[in-house]
Amino acid sequence: MSSPFSINGGAAVAMVGKDCVAIACDLRLGLQSLTVSNNYPKIFPYGDVYLGLTGLATDISTVSDLLRYKVNMYRLREERAISPQTLANLVSSSLYERRFGPYFVSPVIAGLNHKDGKPFICGFDSIGCIDFAKDFIVSGTASDQLFGMCEGLWEPDLGPDELFETISQALLSAVDRDALSGWGAHVYIIEKDKVTKRLLKGRQD
Amino acid sequence: MADRYSFSLTTFSPTGKLVQIEYALNAVNQGVTALGIKATNGIVLATEKKSSSPLIDASSSSKISLITPNIGMVYSGMGPDYRVLVDKARKVTHTNYKRIYNEYPPTRILVQDVARVMQEATQSGGVRPYGVSLLIAGWDDGIEPETKAGEDAEPEAEKLAVKSGKTGGILKGGPSLYQVDPSGSYFPWKATAIGKSATSAKTFLEKRYTEGLELEDAIHIALLTLKETIEGEMNGETVEIGIVGPPEDKLLGYEGVEGAVGPRFRVLSSQEVEDYLTNL
Amino acid sequence: MGGFDFSNHSRNAALHAQGFPLPTATSTGTTIVGCLFDGGVVIAADTRATSGPIVADKNCEKLHFITPQIWCAGAGTAADTEFTTSLISSNLELHSLSTGRQPRVVTCMTMLKQHLFRYQGHIGAYLVVAGCDPTGAHLFTVHAHGSTDKLPYVTMGSGSLAAMSVFETAWKGNMTRQGAVDLCSEAIKAGIFNDLGSGSNVDVCIITPEKATLLRNHITPNEREKKMRDYRFKKGTTAVLNQKIITRADISKYVTVHELDDGTPVAAEKMDVDT
Repeated sequence: MSSPFSINGGAAVAMVGKDCVAIACDLRLGLQSLTVSNNYPKIFPYGDVYLGLTGLATDISTVSDLLRYKVNMYRLREERAISPQTLANLVSSSLYERRFGPYFVSPVIAGLNHKDGKPFICGFDSIGCIDFAKDFIVSGTASDQLFGMCEGLWEPDLGPDELFETISQALLSAVDRDALSGWGAHVYIIEKDKVTKRLLKGRQD
Repeated sequence: MADRYSFSLTTFSPTGKLVQIEYALNAVNQGVTALGIKATNGIVLATEKKSSSPLIDASSSSKISLITPNIGMVYSGMGPDYRVLVDKARKVTHTNYKRIYNEYPPTRILVQDVARVMQEATQSGGVRPYGVSLLIAGWDDGIEPETKAGEDAEPEAEKLAVKSGKTGGILKGGPSLYQVDPSGSYFPWKATAIGKSATSAKTFLEKRYTEGLELEDAIHIALLTLKETIEGEMNGETVEIGIVGPPEDKLLGYEGVEGAVGPRFRVLSSQEVEDYLTNL
Repeated sequence: MGGFDFSNHSRNAALHAQGFPLPTATSTGTTIVGCLFDGGVVIAADTRATSGPIVADKNCEKLHFITPQIWCAGAGTAADTEFTTSLISSNLELHSLSTGRQPRVVTCMTMLKQHLFRYQGHIGAYLVVAGCDPTGAHLFTVHAHGSTDKLPYVTMGSGSLAAMSVFETAWKGNMTRQGAVDLCSEAIKAGIFNDLGSGSNVDVCIITPEKATLLRNHITPNEREKKMRDYRFKKGTTAVLNQKIITRADISKYVTVHELDDGTPVAAEKMDVDT
C-alpha cells in the first residue's frame, strides 16, 4: 500500500537567489488517484517567513495550525517577529517531540534573516532533522523529479525575476512527471522590502 | 496527607498588604548592597563580598553568577535562596528556551521566567517568598540602540522605540539591566542598587550617571558607589565585579565553527578588581 | 524536549497495521572515525545525508558540539544524533555550571549510554565521543542500544569497514597530531569513495587540552565541475495567471497576514475555476 506521504500528493520547493529567496508549491489535493481539489496551497506565512508543507493533508493542517499558534505566542511573548532560523529550530523541536509518533509531513522554510538580510532556506524530514542547504530544498511526491530539475536549472546569484522563472520551470516540469502533483502552482519571491506571490497556470490532468 | 492542608503562607492583611512579601523585602534591605550600571557597550554588576570572619576562605565563594553566556546575575538578601534561584534560572534557560529555539533567551524573557518563579512562591502552598532581590544584566543580539531604524524588519516598531527613548529592551539588541523583587515584579534600570545601602547608593548613582557612558567608566562609577557604602576594606577579595562586555572569543574554548561568538558575561578575577581599585 | 509526545503513535500504528510503510527518516549513512594521538584526540566524518537511495544533503554536519572540549561524531538516524547530542550537551552545560568544573568525557559517554539504553535502541544514534578533560584525552563509541567501547582508534557507520581497513593498515601507536588528522582523513576518504552511504567532504575536529579546532570541509575531493553554460530563462517565460505584492510594512504590522474577504475578493485567490 502507498505511504501516508503519497496519499494526498503534492510538491514544494525552495531556492536561494541573490538577496532573495523563493518558495513554491503545487495546488493538488488528491485521495490516491482521485483529485479532490485544484486549490490546496501548501505554503503558509508566519510573518515574513514562509513554510511549505507536503505529505498527509490532515497533518499539513494540524502542523500548520500548531505552528501558527506557536509563532503567534512567540510574537506576543517576545514582541518581535520570528526569524527564519528560529522558526527552523522551532519546527525541528516540535517534530522531534513526536519522534515516536510523527506527523507525516516534509516541511520547507524560506525567508530572509532579520539582522543581515541573508537568504535562508532549509528542509526537514518528518522527525525534525534539519537540512541546511545553500542552494535548494525539495519535498513531496515529486521530490525525486525536483531534485533532478533543481540540480540542472539552479545556479548561484539569480536575481528575483530570474529566480522566479527558474523555480517555476523546475516545479512545473517536475510535477508534470508526477501523477500525484500539479494542477497549478503558487510561487513566492521574498525580497528585502516585498514579497511577490504569483499563481501559475499548470496542466489540469 | 501533608499536602491537603498546605495553604499559602502569604495571605492578605485586612489593609490589603501581603506582609510576607514585605518581610521578604526587609530581608533584602538588610542584605549586602549590590549595584548595576548600564553602559552603551556593556553593563557592570558589583557587590561587596562580606565575610563574617577572617577565617573564611573568600576565594571559594562567589555572589555574581553566569546564567547564559550573555547574561549574569547578582543579589541582595539571603544567599541560600539566591543559589536556588540561580539553579532554576539556568535550568529554565534551557528547558523553556534553548531546547526549543536552539538559542539562549533574550534578557527580558529570562527576567520574566525568573520573576514567575519568584511570584509563584508568593501564591503557592507550603512555601515562603524568596528573600532576595536580583539584578540581572544581559546583552541581546539584534539592532543596537545607537543604530537608527533603517530598512529593518520592523520600521514601525523601531520608530516608536526611538521616540520613547528606550535603550536596549526587546525590540532592539544591546544591553539591559533589570531588578527582580521577591513579589515577582521587575523593573528595567539604567543604573540601580539593592540591599542595605540601596537608597544612598541610588542617590550617588543619580548624581554620577550620565547618558552615553562607556563600560570602563561604568566600572569606575560602580566602585566609587561601592566605596561610599562599604564598611570594611576594599580589595580584590572583598569586592566582586561581573561585566557584560564585548564577546570574548578566546573564552569559547574552540574555533572553526561558523558564526560562533564568545561569551559576553564574565566575573572579573580578584587581580582584575585589584587593578581597577588601584586606579580609582 | 526529553519528554516525547506519543499522541500520534496509535494512529500511526493503525496505519502501519493497514499496510502503510513507516516514514523514512533522514539517515546519515555515514563514515565516522576517531583516533587518539599524543596530546589529544581527533574525530572525523563525511558530509553525506541520505534518505533511502536519495542524497538528501550533500554537505551536512556530523560533528556535534557537546562542550567546548567534548565533540561527538554521529551516525544513524540524523534527527536522533542531532537531538541526543544537543540534549546531553545541554545537561552537561548545566552540570558544569553548577559544579564549577569542566565536564569529563566519561560523564558525557555515561549520560549518552543511559539515555540510549532507556530507549532500547529505538533512538537510532551511533556515536563516536571524543574529548579532553583534566584526566586526559579520551575516545569512546556509543551504540544505539547503549553499549560502549573505549579504543585508541574507532570507526562507525555504514563506511566503518572501509575506514577500519585504513586504520588496520596504517595505524601505529604514539601518533603526532598531524599524523592522526591525516590518518582519520584517509579513513573517511575510504568511506566516501567505497561506501555508497557516505560521500562529499571530510570534516575533522582536533581536541587538545588547550582547545578544540573544527576543520569544516578539511578536504573537498568531490567539488562539482562548474557548468559551462546555463539554463537561465528569459523574463516572462512562465505563464502567470495573477500576482499579488505584499509589502514588508504590511507584514510587520500583523502577527500573521491573512487574505480577508472584505467585499472585494483578493485577486490572488480568484482562480478557483477554470476560465
